[in-house]
Amino acid sequence: MSDFDREGRGGRGGAGGKGAAGEKAGGRRTFFRRRRVCKFCVEKIDYISYKDVKLLAPFIPERGKIQPRRISGVCATHQRALQTAIKRARQIALVPYVTD
Amino acid sequence: MSTVRQYELVYITPPEITEEALADLHQQVVAVVGRFGGTIEKTENWGRRKLAYEINHQREGVYVLEVINGPGAMLAELDRRLRVIDQVVRHMLVRVDEDLAKADRARARRKSAMAARRVRRGLPPEPTETELHRRREEDDDLEGGDTFRGGDR
Repeated sequence: MSDFDREGRGGRGGAGGKGAAGEKAGGRRTFFRRRRVCKFCVEKIDYISYKDVKLLAPFIPERGKIQPRRISGVCATHQRALQTAIKRARQIALVPYVTD
Repeated sequence: MSTVRQYELVYITPPEITEEALADLHQQVVAVVGRFGGTIEKTENWGRRKLAYEINHQREGVYVLEVINGPGAMLAELDRRLRVIDQVVRHMLVRVDEDLAKADRARARRKSAMAARRVRRGLPPEPTETELHRRREEDDDLEGGDTFRGGDR
């Protein structure tokens, strides 16, 4: 995967990877910046309900898979809660298992 | 004998279900819950909704949510009953009290942490109106600052 790709998706990578990419990209970083913050921490959402499809939707890309947190920037605690919420929502057909 | 817990029940019926059938279904749930000494806290009819995938060749369904307080033994019976009823194409029972309590604790913890922080700085524990207003403006500035720091690193 190229640097370009990484930046565009807001990938964090390890600390080393970030440094390397930052040096290389330089000014471009600001252009492709993506705020790497957990949406649930920022908005102080304590309980992620499976009923709230609007809340879950941004974390379910086209294909219907759960977006990895390396891309979405969600913290580990909230990703875990999000995961159960999405899986529950799938059971009652609020959210797809797969879409092709 | 057993502790009361809170559960959420969601069930889906075919879209062509009649009002009476829906009411009857609700009554059946009420009956089971009543038998175990539980209570129904809330019933929400979400109405017709599109299903994310086909269930029994149906693309739509009527969703009903019930928030129930009761013992765990009630769940097994409820689950068994719902499984048998043809009018219910899908159902799910989830225990929610623990997660809600956890969320409440997190909220309380955050609040007290903020109050403590403020007191340490010699401020009143609760932010004043004017402060809240000012902070909103500062937040906008901070975002710009963050970007700069990010670019610097």
